[in-house]
Amino acid sequence: MSLFEIKNVSKSFGDLKVLNDITVSVDKGEVVAIIGPSGSGKSTLLRCATMLETMDSGDLTYKGEYAAKNDENGKSVYAPPSELRKIKGYFGLVFQQFNLFPHYSVLKNLCDAPVSVQKRDRKEVEKEARVLISKMGLEGKENYYPQQLSGGQQQRVAIARALCMNPDILFFDEPTSALDPELTGEILKVIRQLAQEHMTMVIVTHEMAFARDVADRVIFMDGGYIVEEGRPEDVITNPKEERTQRFLARFSENG
Amino acid sequence: MSLMNVMRQIGSGFGSTLIIFFFTLLFSMPLGILVALGRMSKIKPLSVLIQGIISILRGTPLMLQLIVVFYGPYYLFGMKLSTGWRLYATLIGFSINYAAYFAEIFRAGIQSIPVGQTEAATVLGYTKVQTFVKIIFPQMVKRTIPPVTNEVITLVKDTSLAFVLAYQEMFTYAKQVSAAMSSLMPLFVAGLFYYLFNLVVTIAMDRIEKALSYYN
Amino acid sequence: MMKKLAALFLAGVMAASLAACGGSSAASTATSQAEKAEEAAQEAVEQTAEQTEAAVETATAEGREFVVGFDAEYPPYGYLDMATNDYTGFDLELAQELCNRRGWTLVKKPINWDNKDAEIDSGSIDCIWNGMTYTGREELYTWSRPYVNNSIVMCVMADSDIQSLADLAGKIVITQTDSSAQTALEGEELADLTASFAKLELNPSYNTCFQDMMTGAVDAIAVDIGVAQYQMKNNPDKFRILGEEVSKEQYAIAFKLGNEELRDQVQETYDEMLADGTVMEIAQHYAEDNLPEMLITEK
Repeated sequence: MSLFEIKNVSKSFGDLKVLNDITVSVDKGEVVAIIGPSGSGKSTLLRCATMLETMDSGDLTYKGEYAAKNDENGKSVYAPPSELRKIKGYFGLVFQQFNLFPHYSVLKNLCDAPVSVQKRDRKEVEKEARVLISKMGLEGKENYYPQQLSGGQQQRVAIARALCMNPDILFFDEPTSALDPELTGEILKVIRQLAQEHMTMVIVTHEMAFARDVADRVIFMDGGYIVEEGRPEDVITNPKEERTQRFLARFSENG
Repeated sequence: MSLMNVMRQIGSGFGSTLIIFFFTLLFSMPLGILVALGRMSKIKPLSVLIQGIISILRGTPLMLQLIVVFYGPYYLFGMKLSTGWRLYATLIGFSINYAAYFAEIFRAGIQSIPVGQTEAATVLGYTKVQTFVKIIFPQMVKRTIPPVTNEVITLVKDTSLAFVLAYQEMFTYAKQVSAAMSSLMPLFVAGLFYYLFNLVVTIAMDRIEKALSYYN
Repeated sequence: MMKKLAALFLAGVMAASLAACGGSSAASTATSQAEKAEEAAQEAVEQTAEQTEAAVETATAEGREFVVGFDAEYPPYGYLDMATNDYTGFDLELAQELCNRRGWTLVKKPINWDNKDAEIDSGSIDCIWNGMTYTGREELYTWSRPYVNNSIVMCVMADSDIQSLADLAGKIVITQTDSSAQTALEGEELADLTASFAKLELNPSYNTCFQDMMTGAVDAIAVDIGVAQYQMKNNPDKFRILGEEVSKEQYAIAFKLGNEELRDQVQETYDEMLADGTVMEIAQHYAEDNLPEMLITEK
């Protein structure tokens, strides 16, 4: 049984069809990288998976539990709110723009949701949060406010915030795109470390070298379709599809 | 007639002015938040209705609204007006008028908060109420302090409009003292009171703004 | 809580302003002044509170409540007595005596003169007893019998060269909005006189009209004689009343149209007071304002 599965999902914004019958499933401990040009639908796929967007049709399951399921007309029907709230505990999302809460200290950014959403014991959560903070190399920053930190530090806090919920799977939406080039390294290092600890992750990224190194599987999307999917050495190093080749060629030219 | 005596007379109306000031803030701010949320509601008829009400409250003189609230029950339903109604009508009139202004300030404040804040909260599993109370509201408060301060200062001076319902606030007293003394001096004394009151308000709002400046 | 806050703030304001006024005076004086100010502030706030409480009590007291509406900026008929911090005046003293005799409780209700009709129609007040002109308004209210002969006069600065109504040609005249003087000047009988003015201006308060004239913004005020005399008492040698009267009229007590029952009760007691000399006695309190001469003594 897959930890996460999104099956036959379609999604349109008005007349524009951004996802066409996409199916992705992720096993426990797997690291999946999604690459593709902008407008390919990879971010929308992530937003559907994390329920920030509703699917037009398709099934969504976490640990075999349905968050949404097609009805007889082929429309996605979502589970009742109480069920969805439980399922939201299974995953975490790291945003491109961090989206830390500016009025909360680093520590409170980490602890507030576990305490007020998951109803966990505050002391226990704080203990765990401090461990995560030091794991992210942010010792001593517990009482800082987000704007007192660099972009790289903020993104590490955002990762720690997601981890503090003890998710089964972590989604990353272009986690380094909002950072200066010299700061991307520290984020990639953190993700690499999580991969070594067998954290299940789905990462939308433009960092090809990183995707090749860290991912167990790479998905190339274009125009709302999955064009190619497979081991990184196949998809990135030796792409079979012409569209994948063109995308990667442009990528290596540019940079 | 000594200055001291004049200040005492006018000061005796200051309590009534304070009552309008405090109760208007007390009622209009929470009401303003509710109205702002209704205005942003996805339920179209509600949002349009509230937009219409706000438009009327902001587009007509407060003085007229006070008259409508006070005399409305008589002209609409033939009710006999009691003595206490004068104060209640004043507070109702001020509160709904200021709620309309606060609602628009709060709406602007809420809409200026990046959508990513709501998305982050949603993914973390916060309910809609938790998201508003814990994430959106505190950031809105900070962002809206300067325009809210403007409104509060205006309110201090607007309390004098209660004279139209013959509610005995400070400026009504000042005019009566002025008539009894056949002199304009009491009006200037009242002006001094308003100025000092607003000085205190400004300092207080400044303090609040500073207290919230621990983050950007 | 509210009262305490008010007292505290008031004390602060007064201390600050007094200290500022003190100027060259020593710091210690300023401090003691501030202390006094604080006491005074406490008292002032307590007084307001007492007034409010008194009003609440009367609502529950036995016997009828008699709510008299009046313009508190209209001395000597109704105004704020600075010595007692209560409303007084010729009309309010009469109303008090009348209530005492009937076992009623008097509620003195200052109103905004512009809203007097709405106040009386809505039952928020029982009557207007406030130098209210009967002449020309006969059909609008249920009236008591007139009790004061009033004249509308022209008041000018003492050193003005205006000596007669004819001298007002080309001058700026002011009067109170919605006053009987305005009604008289805009009526047919005085059309020629009014047409001779450069302009007839209006202001919501007679008090401000007098301020306007002192600054030279206007040349003359058309005003009830009693009001003019009150102003002259407060500003000796400043003003002069033209010998020639503008018009004559009468004051009466106005009740809601159709409320004959209350009017008859008031009239009955007023007539008693008139017969035993009490009304004249009260008028003597306002001898400086010429009220004894203006009083209508015959039935």
